[in-house]
Amino acid sequence: MPASVDLPSRTTVIERFKGQGGRIAAVLPIHYPRALFRAFGMLPIEVWGPPGVDKSTGDAHLQAYACSTVRAGLSFILSGAGEVADAILVPHTCDSLQALASVLLDFTKPHQMVLTLYVPKAERASDLEFLGKELRRVFGRLVELTGQRPTDAELHAAMDREQQADEVLARLLSERGKLGVGNREFYGVVRSREYLPAEEFASLARAALDKWAGAPLPKRTPILATGIMPEPMDVLDALDEAGLSIVADDFAGSGRRLYKASTAHDPFDRMAKTLLSGSPDPTRGCGIQPRIDHLVDLAKRTGARGALFYEIKFCEPEAFYVPLVTRGLQAAGVPCLAVEVDITDPMPDQLVTRIEAFAESLS
Amino acid sequence: MSIPGQLAYQLNVNVLGKAALRVQRWQLERKLSKPGTWKHETLNAPIDTAPWLKELITKHYLTGRYANGARKVAWVTSGAPVEFLKALDYFLIYPENHGAVCGIRKVGEEMCTHAEDFGYSRDICSYARCDIGSVLSGKTPVGRLPKPDLLLCCNNICQTVLYWYQVLAHHFGCPLIVIDTPFIYDEAREHDIASVKRQIEDAFPIAERVAERTIEPKRLEDVMLRSRDAVDLWLKVLQTGRNHPSPITAFDEFIHMAPIVEMRGESATVDYYSAMLSALEQRAKDGVGALKHEKKRILWDNLPIWYRIRPLGEKLAEHGVAMVASTYTNAWGELAELINADHPMDSMAKCYLHPILNRGTGHKLQTMQKMLTEYEADGVILHSDRSCKPYSIGQIDQRNAVSDKLGKPALLLEADHTDGRAYSVEQADTRISAFLELLGV
Amino acid sequence: MANVVALGFDIGSSTAKLVGVTADGKLAFHRIEPTEPRIEDQATRMLAEARAALGGGALPVVATGYGRKLIPGADRAVTEITCHARGVWEAMGTPGTLVDVGGQDSKVIVVGAEGRVANFAMNDKCAAGTGRFLEVTAARLRIPIDEIGAVSLSTKKSVPISSTCTVFAESEIISLLAHGEHVENILHGLHRSLVSRLVAMVRGVQPRAPYMLSGGVARNGALRAFLAESLGSEVLVPAEPQLMGAYGAALLVRQG
Repeated sequence: MPASVDLPSRTTVIERFKGQGGRIAAVLPIHYPRALFRAFGMLPIEVWGPPGVDKSTGDAHLQAYACSTVRAGLSFILSGAGEVADAILVPHTCDSLQALASVLLDFTKPHQMVLTLYVPKAERASDLEFLGKELRRVFGRLVELTGQRPTDAELHAAMDREQQADEVLARLLSERGKLGVGNREFYGVVRSREYLPAEEFASLARAALDKWAGAPLPKRTPILATGIMPEPMDVLDALDEAGLSIVADDFAGSGRRLYKASTAHDPFDRMAKTLLSGSPDPTRGCGIQPRIDHLVDLAKRTGARGALFYEIKFCEPEAFYVPLVTRGLQAAGVPCLAVEVDITDPMPDQLVTRIEAFAESLS
Repeated sequence: MSIPGQLAYQLNVNVLGKAALRVQRWQLERKLSKPGTWKHETLNAPIDTAPWLKELITKHYLTGRYANGARKVAWVTSGAPVEFLKALDYFLIYPENHGAVCGIRKVGEEMCTHAEDFGYSRDICSYARCDIGSVLSGKTPVGRLPKPDLLLCCNNICQTVLYWYQVLAHHFGCPLIVIDTPFIYDEAREHDIASVKRQIEDAFPIAERVAERTIEPKRLEDVMLRSRDAVDLWLKVLQTGRNHPSPITAFDEFIHMAPIVEMRGESATVDYYSAMLSALEQRAKDGVGALKHEKKRILWDNLPIWYRIRPLGEKLAEHGVAMVASTYTNAWGELAELINADHPMDSMAKCYLHPILNRGTGHKLQTMQKMLTEYEADGVILHSDRSCKPYSIGQIDQRNAVSDKLGKPALLLEADHTDGRAYSVEQADTRISAFLELLGV
Repeated sequence: MANVVALGFDIGSSTAKLVGVTADGKLAFHRIEPTEPRIEDQATRMLAEARAALGGGALPVVATGYGRKLIPGADRAVTEITCHARGVWEAMGTPGTLVDVGGQDSKVIVVGAEGRVANFAMNDKCAAGTGRFLEVTAARLRIPIDEIGAVSLSTKKSVPISSTCTVFAESEIISLLAHGEHVENILHGLHRSLVSRLVAMVRGVQPRAPYMLSGGVARNGALRAFLAESLGSEVLVPAEPQLMGAYGAALLVRQG
């Protein structure tokens, strides 16, 4: 086993960035323009839960049938852990995040600026046009917050940097099957995209690629994994122990955010095009067949022998797709296992058993 | 359209069905008008137009039964801009209303089970499970649902419909129009309105192609006028609840709302609500309340618990508590002022962006506060509906605001609109009793 | 008994089961005990006792169940899903769909050719679909767990228990008792409620006939009868329903 990749912690990154006079934006899932914030000297730090948080502060505002990501997210913001942030962005992703943003704006009213971003649920010309204008609106809000007004050239430069980071992420994911590294360590690097500046992520990920490409390949059963994100990350240890390796990634936080480059002249049009260019995503109401086709293709390309649907309980957009999409994959010869978790709970034994049983059935 | 299909449709719906339903209605009207028929201890007789309502709804589903082959059919969400489909003579099915019917007839659980057997999670909306379960099993309490030629999904009520309609589109293989309405956290921006307007415009040619005819502007205008008239009348119907005693309860409204949701834009709907309004105004004039003895008045928030309407209504009535209004039924009336047939596209765009469910949690609290004042209500029951996250999340803060700032009792009642398995009768009963004690009845 | 060639050890949440098989796959030895808190000590002792009883030779062991990773000296740990499938296939000689109602988990396993797992499902976190559900409610009704099946079958009247979770169900039972409902009718309803959860899981896995039932609860006649009724098909029970996991584990030694 080669030495681990040295990952700076979120706290270190935040302190360093603030130390250099930068601002921090706490960002909830899923799709948003990183470049827009960077152009204002702000670093977006994503809040996917986090799993360790005490949910009770959020539970004072949200019913139990809001998913654990949303309840933990609100708890995190309200607990004071979000104090380092100068602004909070809640992209419009689902009913629960919509409500979270609204509760923040209307009731809990944190002292930071709360920004919303409506992400359209289709990719038609009207959606692109709308999103371009919506991004301009957010731009206006950031001008208000920072007193700065980045030029078009600065916006394009920020987008170039994100584009390069996305390209490295795409390489990481597409070459996964040839890398001698376990799931846990691999996702440590993949998920550092959630908080590292793009340029830092790109160089760190390139170094990781070089290191892992030369490492011996452990004997593992290759699988596809989908869901919101591999959280709690203990699941990755369970996969490692069961001899399963995620070679095909369709997590909302990683595989579904491999945005395609756009050459649009106007920076907002370019940002809009990029944001709507990810792979089929249930949270954006994608078609069932396009998603089946995408996942079958992904499994075939990567040699995945099974598919793990790692879902968060009460996540409605994901849940709607499971029955038909698993059938589509199974019809294409890819057996599926669908499990549900609460990201704030410890990994249940039963889940480990299911994963192991799935591995046994694939071998 | 097939000739045998047309013939079956005309014969069964417009000749036999129409006559049979009319006879049934007369019989029911005669029965109800006989003095001494109504003997309930705490509730007064139902509104005179109830038999007419039954005729309307039965006719609607009867039409649906024979629609395939005779008319184009569209399945639509409850908040969708349907006027252009009406102008193209589509027959419309509202799966959400069908879900409500399943709930009222107490087959919600059974329908949900069909979907769950296929692998749909119990955590997804029970309307969607009812609908998908019905599609998969071919079962429905309304006889038969016609297959859609077109699906129209507007997410101004929730995001759930986006995923649900993708499932339907996959199942039926027919075109799906999505009208994506940006959520209004505080106020609508120009680009929000422009986007919705453009999406509705872009939807026209798709609907025309499926219907194999074009929209006549005059017809569209007529439909819009009838829509506005119906919405106006509906609002007035609801506002009769401001009388003391109130001639109507929200439980009545839940049942009488079917036409405003399902048959908006039809002249029969306008006729029905004018008759209903006259009947209610007469009651108000005569001082006849929905309850025999009204002591307290309350407001309901969120969808009804369809399978518990009667027991809940009776329990409240026993204590002299009239539920005089609900934010839910109000949703189909509050936008009346936004409909303007002279500017059909702009007014449609604005109207369909502003339902209560597409607006922030603070706006909903304001609506509740306003209604509490206007209806002179003493408290609120907030149905925390497991199946409706956009309506429910935010209620904890809304409840706290009502009880802390207004000092009025507010109860958060955990349930589900169609799936009785998420409702614990005993627990709910205890909570409602405690709430009634707070009201002092 | 000297012809036992392999052992299977299934340590579940309520019982520990140790099984020995012969070279031709016959179940030739077994021991069942309640699971003790110190699983490792119990496992060591049970293994030593078994080896002594079987002639003292070292025998290969495959471990399964929740305690599978705590069994000292086991050659391999395999999940109970794979083991149950293998065990029941050997015992019944046919592929099909197995319902296993355990103390903590219920599972539905589609058993394919050669006893391989074709598909499986397990109950969600809530205990309403498990043996624990019956245990809790039987305790509330003060009826010994071994008798609840017979008591349920003694009546035709079933009180519907609508609640889906054990806690809700308990409060519902209290209120039913308060309303004077008979205990046997409530028990009947409880069995129906558990069966409906199991049937929902069965339908979710694209099952194939015949249906089989294993786990300690398989001895409960009411559960078996209601399950058969709801599935519209006969439900087969192996001779030793409680041992299928351990039996399958022992059989898997040869495939190691």
